[in-house]
Parts: sequence; structure tokens; C-alpha cells
Amino acid sequence: MQTVGRTRTHFLIRAWTAFVVLAIYLPIACGALAGLSKGRYFAFPIRVFSGEWWGKTWDSFEIHVLVQNSVLIALIVTVLSVLFAFFGALAFARYPWKGRRAFQRLLLLPIFFPQPVLGLALLLWFNALGISPSWKTAVVAHLVWIVPVVTLVIAIQVFSFDPVLEEAASDLGASRLFTLRTVTLPILWPGIWSGALFAFLLSWGNFPLSLYTAGADSTIPKWLYSKMVAGYTPMVPALGTMSTLTAAALLLAGGLVRLLLKKRADLRAREG
Amino acid sequence: MSSVAVSPVSASPAVSKTPRPVLQLVDVRKVFDGFAAVDGINLDIEEGEFVTIVGPSGSGKTTLLRMLAGLESPSDGYITLRGELINDVPSNRRPTCLVFQSLALFPHMTVGDNIEFPLRVRKMAPEERRRRALELMAKVRLPEDYYAKNVMLCSGGEKQRVALARAFAYDPDVLFFDEPLSALDYKLKKLLEKELKDLHRESGKTFVYITHSLEEAMVMSDRIGVMRAGKVVQIGTPEQIYSTPADRFVAEFFGEVNTVPIRRSADGWLRRDGRPVAVTSGLSIDGDEATVVIRPEYMRFVTDDAVADNTIVGTIFNEYSLGSRLQYQVRSRTGRTFLVEVPRAAAWKGTGEVTIGWDARNAIVVGG
Repeated sequence: MQTVGRTRTHFLIRAWTAFVVLAIYLPIACGALAGLSKGRYFAFPIRVFSGEWWGKTWDSFEIHVLVQNSVLIALIVTVLSVLFAFFGALAFARYPWKGRRAFQRLLLLPIFFPQPVLGLALLLWFNALGISPSWKTAVVAHLVWIVPVVTLVIAIQVFSFDPVLEEAASDLGASRLFTLRTVTLPILWPGIWSGALFAFLLSWGNFPLSLYTAGADSTIPKWLYSKMVAGYTPMVPALGTMSTLTAAALLLAGGLVRLLLKKRADLRAREG
Repeated sequence: MSSVAVSPVSASPAVSKTPRPVLQLVDVRKVFDGFAAVDGINLDIEEGEFVTIVGPSGSGKTTLLRMLAGLESPSDGYITLRGELINDVPSNRRPTCLVFQSLALFPHMTVGDNIEFPLRVRKMAPEERRRRALELMAKVRLPEDYYAKNVMLCSGGEKQRVALARAFAYDPDVLFFDEPLSALDYKLKKLLEKELKDLHRESGKTFVYITHSLEEAMVMSDRIGVMRAGKVVQIGTPEQIYSTPADRFVAEFFGEVNTVPIRRSADGWLRRDGRPVAVTSGLSIDGDEATVVIRPEYMRFVTDDAVADNTIVGTIFNEYSLGSRLQYQVRSRTGRTFLVEVPRAAAWKGTGEVTIGWDARNAIVVGG
């Protein structure tokens, strides 16, 4: 009797999981299929499949510039935000100091601020300062939103770090720098890597901030939106699919690297 | 109750060999936000000594140890190491090493890397580091194949040994221990206490150990200091602390004791009910109020053929077995509770009221 009940529960869990996965991935699959249609317009069912639009997208100079912009912005945002966020996370979670609570609250504010409003506010601010918007201002705008997120991601790791380890290292003769290099950083690496990955993907996929602050420069999400509004071509779903696949590949690669590092560490530990 | 700041009562045998103590504390204080965690400590620790500081939690013993290790600096007073003032010398420049309560092993390193850490700081060659680490592992009885083991996969006792080996790798003049055995089960704790004592003897280094367990202190120490509210109340050999506690606090810290309040009169010390009490100590107590302290094992049942200097009548209301011994809780007619501990062979077989008693030579009189 009990096993029957359990089997049914298992079946329900599986069915529900399958439904959720389908609901999430079906639209992406549709988008991907739209890019593989030979037709000029977005219509289902697709009559003739072809890789024509993928090819065109791949060869387009305009797209190359877009990708370059997006990659450049995302890379700079990643490096800067991890740098800021690492020290921010130490202030957030490691050291007790006056004003720490206020810092913890203020840091969260940009995350809860609606991004279109944040983008507009930043644009007005740049104007007031006489800075003309370009991909560089977009980097600043991305940082405003992404640094707090990455700070939180790294802070989670910092919270689980036992400060006594640093005292122990010092007690055993280590300088502050030696301790940072051999104790603090190695223990915080997983959090820092997760933070970097978050930073890249959030910047890569960001639309509202780029829309307001990138000026004449375009990014992939910005271009996708503008083409959807006016001048649809199947290059839109094709590029959208490529972008999604790139992000997925990056995530997989991140996971793979971590797995390999762990394997190597284990192997080294076994060999001594 | 007056707390007596006592300078070392006893001298360990090492004194005659070295003219100066290795560690000297003069009026050391540490104040946090107006609260004196350590409130004027004077203490000399001799070369090669095993000194244990005991005290309840909050007595300031951990703060004291952190100042000695250089993790806090004193608000007041002087700490000298071999005659040199070290008040503000940071922990990484002191020839001392602390074994933390949590052990503070580096979780991302192997057993070998943990032990080699202080050697790596000193830029010792990898081959030599490894040789030294294996040597130390043998010393603390860790099997050689643990060298490459992830330290987090070690058991509690093994981690203890890794922490010890790591501290020894630093080759400090003085080793500090912050209750490192508190998290272990009884049997392992007993074993490691003995090993630590052996290690102390073999290495000849100075050990300063803190714990809240006087039992632990008794097993290992040359001298014991008892701390209370930031002050050292008494310091002496385990025997001195046990047989002549400076006050009621020290006496009670040893575990269960019986106390009888007494007051001075023209005819000598009297109990509350006016009956005289026979005492052999406490003649030099200043005040008019004092307390007789009697350990449960010195209390016994008084019968026609077993008299005692002092007696109390009461009823037994609880009986516990302590293995080879039995413990009784007796409520006196005045409502005080007494503990009587007797060998199993001397179990109480009677009924109704009992008379319990103690001999004057087995009791201690303390002020207050």
C-alpha cells in the first residue's frame, strides 16, 4: 500500500518537474526554431528550415560590433565589480565597524531600485556632468547595479569564513599579505568565482541600463529590442539563441573548470 | 568576599636554574568599553613550567591568554618575555604560539600543509619542511600516511594532534592552550591530557593552559592559577589549591563541597545555632564571619562507635551511585543540604534521622 503511494508521489513529482522544465525551455526552443526558419517573418508552423539567417548573423559586421561591445562591457564590469565587491564583502561580512549596518542596508538599495528608473537617473546624472553617454558610461551604470549583487554573492562566502584562521596564521608568524595569499583568498575563491560569473552574465544580459546609458553604442540586448520594435529580421532570434548558448556555455565551462580544479587538488592530495 | 591578588606562592623547581621568569605580568589590565575583563594580574611563569589558569566562563582567562599571544594588547600594565617588554609586539613577531579552542586548522590544506605552514612562512625548503613535518607527526602519534590527508576528514582527536604538531613546528618558547580539549569525549580527553603532559616533559617548553575544568588542570599542571572576575584569586601547586583554598570561591570551584557558616565569639568559632565548632585552620582570619568547607568524601555517618569532631543531624533525601562510591544528600534540621560520600561498603542501612559529621583536621576555614 505504502509503495503504491510512494510510486504515485514519485510520478507526480516527475510530472510536475517535467511541466516546469517545459514551461521554462519551450519559449527558448521556439525562439531558437524561429531563427532556423527560411521565411522572412516570424510565423508558425515553420515551413522550410534553413541555416541561412544563422549564417547571415554570423557574418554581419553590425553584429560583430555588438558582440564586441557586449563582451568588452561585460569583461570590464566583471573585473571591476569583483575587485570592488571583494573588499565590499569583507566590510559587509568580516569586520565589525561603525556604520556597518547602514552600509549593509544602503548596499541593497540599488538592487531593489527598478532598473529603468536607475538607468534614466544615471543618464540625467551623466548629462548634468557633461559626459556624453557611450559604452563607457554603460560600464558605470552596470557597476552601480552589479557591484551590490556580486558583493552579496561573495559576502555569503565571507560569512562562513572563520576570522580565527587569520589570527592563527599571524600567530604562526605569517604577515598580513602572506595570510591573505595563503589562507583568506584560497578559502574565499569559490565565492569570488561565483561572483565573477554572476557579474559577467548580469552585464551580458542587461537591457534597461544599457538602453539608457550606452548612448549610440549598442549591446546585444539593446539591438535585439530595437529590432523587435521596428525592423524584425530572423537575425533577432538567431542572435538571441547564440547569446543564450554563449551564456549557457560559459556557465558549463565555469562548472567544468571548478570540477577539474577539485579533481586536480584531490589527485595532488592523494599523491602527497 | 575579598579577592586576594596573590603573587606566586610556590616556586617550581625550575626557579633555581633560571634567575628570571620566562613570562612576567605586572598589573596587567584589559578594558573593553569600560568593562575590565582582566583587572590587574601579577604573574610570573618560570621556564619549562606547565601553568594552568582555571576560572568560570567570563572570568577573563581567554582575554589574558589572547594578550599573552599578542592578539590583544593590554590597556595597562606590562608583559615581559625573557625580560623584554612585549605589550605591543604583534602575534607574528612573538616566539609564542597559541592552540585555539577551535584549533583553527586551515580547512583547505592537507595535514602536512597545515603542519608546514609556519615553516613555509620562514621559507624553509620543501624537502626539509616535509621531513620536519613527518618528524612532528611521529612525535604527536599521527600515522605517516596522514600527511596528504584532507585535514577536515580527520577525527576530533586527530585534529587535536595536527594542531599540536603545527604549534611545535613554529618552535615557540612558550605554548598557549585555550581549552583545546573541551570538545572531546571523556576517554579521549583523558588520553590526550596524559600525552600533552608527556609532550611537555619531553620538549622542556613552557606551557600555559587555560580551562574551566579544575580536574583537567589537576592532571597536568605544575601550578594552577584560579581566576575570577578578571583577577587571579589564588595560585599554587595543585596540592596547595586543593588542600588550602584561599577562599570559598576557590573551594567551591573544585566541585561539590559542604559549607557551614560560622562566626567568631569570645569562646572561639560558633555555628549559627550557637554550638561551638572545632577547627584547626582559619585562626588567622580577620573578620568575624567565616565558612567551614568540608569535601563530601570527608563527611561520614556518625554512629555509636564512629564519632566525629563536629556533627549535624538530618534526613537523607537522595542517594546516588558514583560507581565504587555512594553519595547521599542530607537535609539538616535547619534546612541546609549536605553531601556525604562514602565507599560502597559503608552504605547507610538505617532509617529515620541520621547524624553526619566531620573531623576538624579535614575541614578548611575560609574567610567570608
